[in-house]
Amino acid sequence: MTIFKTFLKVLNKNKGIVILYSAILIFFAAFSLQNNDNSMQFEKEKPSIAIRNRDQEEGFTKEFITYLKENSEVIELEDKEEAYLDALFYRNVNTIITIPEQFGENFVAQNNPEIEVKGTNSYESELTNLMIERYLKVAKIYFTISPSEENFQKIKETVEEEIKLEMTSKLNTNELKKMATYYNFANYSILAGCVYVICLILSSFKNEKIKKRTIISSVNEIKYNRILLMGNFLFAIVLWLFYCLISIVLIGNIMFTKQGIGCILNSLLFTLCAVTLSFLISNLIQNKNAINGIVNVIALGSSFLCGAFVPTELLPEMVQKVAHLLPSYYFINNNEKITSLENWNWEHLSPILLNTIILLFFSCLFVIITNYLTKKRRKQT
Amino acid sequence: MFFHNFKYTFKILFKNKSLIFWTFAFPIILGTLFYFAFSDIEKKEQFDRIQIAIIENELPNEIWNQALKELSEEGENQILQLQYTNIEQANKLLEEEKISGILILDSEQKLIVKKNGINETILKFAIEEIKQTETMLKNIIHSITYESQIQDTKNSINMTIQKILQMKTESMNNIKDVSVNNMSYTMIEYYTLIAMTCLYGGLLSMIAIQKNLANMGSVGKRSATSPTTKKTMILSSLLSSYLIQLIGIILLFLYTIFVLNVDYGNHFSFVVLLTLVGCFAGLSLGIFLASTLKSSENSKTGILLAITMFGCFLSGMMGITMKYVVDKNIPFINRINPANLITDGFYALYYYDTQTRFYHNVIGLLLISCFLIFISILFLRRQTYDNL
Amino acid sequence: MNKVIEVEHLTKEYKKQKAVNNLSFTVQEGEILGLLGPNGSGKSTTINCILSLLKFQKGKIKIFGKEMTPSAYDIKKDIGVVFQEVAVFEELTVYENIDYFCGLYIKDRKKREQFILEAIDLVGLEHYQKFYPKQLSGGLLRRLNIACGIAHKPKLIFFDEPTVAVDPQSRNNILSGIETLRKNGATIIYTTHYMEEVEILCDRVMILDKGEMIASGTIAELKKLTNIEEKVTVEIANLKEKEQKKLKEFPNVMDVTYQNGLLIISYKKGQNNLLTLMDYLKENQINYQKIYSERPTLNDVFLELTGKELRD
Repeated sequence: MTIFKTFLKVLNKNKGIVILYSAILIFFAAFSLQNNDNSMQFEKEKPSIAIRNRDQEEGFTKEFITYLKENSEVIELEDKEEAYLDALFYRNVNTIITIPEQFGENFVAQNNPEIEVKGTNSYESELTNLMIERYLKVAKIYFTISPSEENFQKIKETVEEEIKLEMTSKLNTNELKKMATYYNFANYSILAGCVYVICLILSSFKNEKIKKRTIISSVNEIKYNRILLMGNFLFAIVLWLFYCLISIVLIGNIMFTKQGIGCILNSLLFTLCAVTLSFLISNLIQNKNAINGIVNVIALGSSFLCGAFVPTELLPEMVQKVAHLLPSYYFINNNEKITSLENWNWEHLSPILLNTIILLFFSCLFVIITNYLTKKRRKQT
Repeated sequence: MFFHNFKYTFKILFKNKSLIFWTFAFPIILGTLFYFAFSDIEKKEQFDRIQIAIIENELPNEIWNQALKELSEEGENQILQLQYTNIEQANKLLEEEKISGILILDSEQKLIVKKNGINETILKFAIEEIKQTETMLKNIIHSITYESQIQDTKNSINMTIQKILQMKTESMNNIKDVSVNNMSYTMIEYYTLIAMTCLYGGLLSMIAIQKNLANMGSVGKRSATSPTTKKTMILSSLLSSYLIQLIGIILLFLYTIFVLNVDYGNHFSFVVLLTLVGCFAGLSLGIFLASTLKSSENSKTGILLAITMFGCFLSGMMGITMKYVVDKNIPFINRINPANLITDGFYALYYYDTQTRFYHNVIGLLLISCFLIFISILFLRRQTYDNL
Repeated sequence: MNKVIEVEHLTKEYKKQKAVNNLSFTVQEGEILGLLGPNGSGKSTTINCILSLLKFQKGKIKIFGKEMTPSAYDIKKDIGVVFQEVAVFEELTVYENIDYFCGLYIKDRKKREQFILEAIDLVGLEHYQKFYPKQLSGGLLRRLNIACGIAHKPKLIFFDEPTVAVDPQSRNNILSGIETLRKNGATIIYTTHYMEEVEILCDRVMILDKGEMIASGTIAELKKLTNIEEKVTVEIANLKEKEQKKLKEFPNVMDVTYQNGLLIISYKKGQNNLLTLMDYLKENQINYQKIYSERPTLNDVFLELTGKELRD
């Protein structure tokens, strides 16, 4: 009990920096959620574009502009180079389309006039490009076959063709994706929070003189470690609770669905893993100054490599393979699996269960290594 | 005395392991992480083939089959990976997410997908394209048969179909893309990385200055009682720390250019200018913290790291949208955020043909630096203190 | 003899608390002045004020006959300071540390080199020149701290508790080093709360308490201040209360204490104190192991003047 009380006292003494640090980390997560990019989905709003028309708005040009207006959000801008560039810079528009003089005439006459597009290289601007290309291609073909005004109607008809689409999943993908993003970010927030705070507090315990005192005391080292671990876990749980609480505030009711609860439980499991890892790290580092560095390398490193910031499927194969060695990978993988979980059958639950077991295994491994190290160190001193 | 202090400050800073970690090693580590995390993003989008199951219920449709065949032909342009199967099997595959969608070729075509995603969107687009081609062909054939009652309609139709399909696959030359190609997602990360390194350099000036201040520690007291003037001490220390900062940033540039193959584009002299000014901003931030805050070296380090990280976060290190959100909604924050001014300057170089915006950023950085240094001087001018 | 330091009516307040109150004193050329006082008595504050590191509310300070200001660089070049805390760079070796600080005073490289070697020799760090501070023991570190402060051969040296937490060997080395410095003509101000050091080293002593000077003079002069003439210590296993009371009534006795088997009796001036006591003990068949008589120490002076021990 004394050890535990001392732990709380040390925590209390450092409360300023602990609260500040935790708050910043959770704030990061909340903020990253606010700008979660949903542009990769087809139900999203139309891409916003700006049109700079140097041609008369008649004939083919008119048709083309009508098409653009139907399929995208056209933003009116002051006709100045600066204004266009600024809009592009701030992503008020993602593509600027410049239609040259006599474009319509030339196009119909098959003179191959060029329109100019300047995009942001974002997914949206790519989509805009495809949209334009589709229209112009169709139009070109019609005019090649027969150069007549009747084509306008046919072109319109053609590009308006849509495929019948059916989506099997009844899940609210947008919200679930948000949830996955937020909980993936926990890999950074919770890991950094745990490593930082736990290393900070334990460095007081590991002060040379205190360490010697505990070694000569009658407390068994494994028990000693266990009590400290409990203390650490207590802090981590508080951090985790806040993290979850914010998610409920920000994402809302979906947190109370099966997937939501699943994510919460998964993050609890990861918190456990983060605590044991922090405990191990705090046993490995001797220098208080090194804490900041280690936190950043571990938290940022695992987050980048395991896909906490970038979707996993976009990571290079080699990185994905390396990521398998880190617990973060299984945590993030589990988040993805849980948020797309629809049918509660063995087939879908078993990979989640496997990830869970691996996370638990990592936690145990960290504890065992820590205990082994403390034992070995004691013998040496 | 100037050179003496300069030389020793250099030595002291260089031997401080945690300083060197933050200003030299950490940016390189982070850069390597960026490289691993982002290097494939652009390539990935091209190479991933979308798995799709096809179910044919009716007589084979010539146009569809040919179009699908083209999209799934092996090679650079392959988009789809086809799999002809029955509905049960397809449903199972979709359920397990082994495929992204099911295409049912009936009298009317239908696409079944599981969820909303990148692959699904591309799939929808590709399939729609086929459908539109079909409509187009029907229209054209109709008009040919309607207009010309020539004998060899069939021949003509076949030729037209060939021509159309060929045009369809040919790339368009009516669109001129003048987007800035250098601006990839990864580049943005490297910009924030440079911004971060510049500001982390503040650690160097912070420590360098600290040792000359009597109210910041015992070494400072010793310096203060020496006959060397405070101005000489501080200026030589700063020069020394700035030099180390530059060495760090040069290493980062060399590493990113030659090891990570980052291309900083055609405006390299501007990049250098901005980096120099950025380092100066970092320097002034360090001076500011060293002279105004009275706390341990450790907590000052923590504060500087936190400020920098936060600034980088707001300027898009953990997701570029963050920058746009702040720029749009609270532009003031980013106008005084040195990390953003640095990254913004880099963007400006690539987005704008003129350098107006770039210079705005450079001037902004200089103003902030001067402001910080001005405040610091008020504190540094004191020679005697109320407290030690 | 010249006055090296003149302090007149120095008053320094922290917020409302007076750390130094109306302090005036002078230091003569070539002497070692001991500044004595318990922790928080204002010793370090006084030194920091003299060095122009601290602002003070009232008073005048002259060094070498000139007024001391923060920019009095011609004065500063002849001053050496050894602070209480070890003020060296972790990143530099022993030699480099001394070179750095010495270099702030002396430009000429050859001269500096010679000075550094002399300083290293003085504090006995010959074998540690290439060592980093981390590799040095507490005592050696203190010696380095001193070397950094005195390598430029200052005419006036401040030592602020240079021997705190130092092993006896290093302490002796430090004390003899200071002795040598004085022989070479330096004026020294030495603060400490170890009075043995003061008794060995100092020509003159000032005792501070709560920022005020409560006594000053040579050691002999200070000892005269106390009424105690003799202190007798007797080792007795068991002494009853009654006996203690009786002892208090003996002639010349000022005070009797009995703690942990040690009976200490303080006497005013008088004769045959020891004999009377021994007779009494014999008569009453009180067994004792050892008995000895001492002259009063500075500590006794201090105790009497302030009512507390010099050493906390």
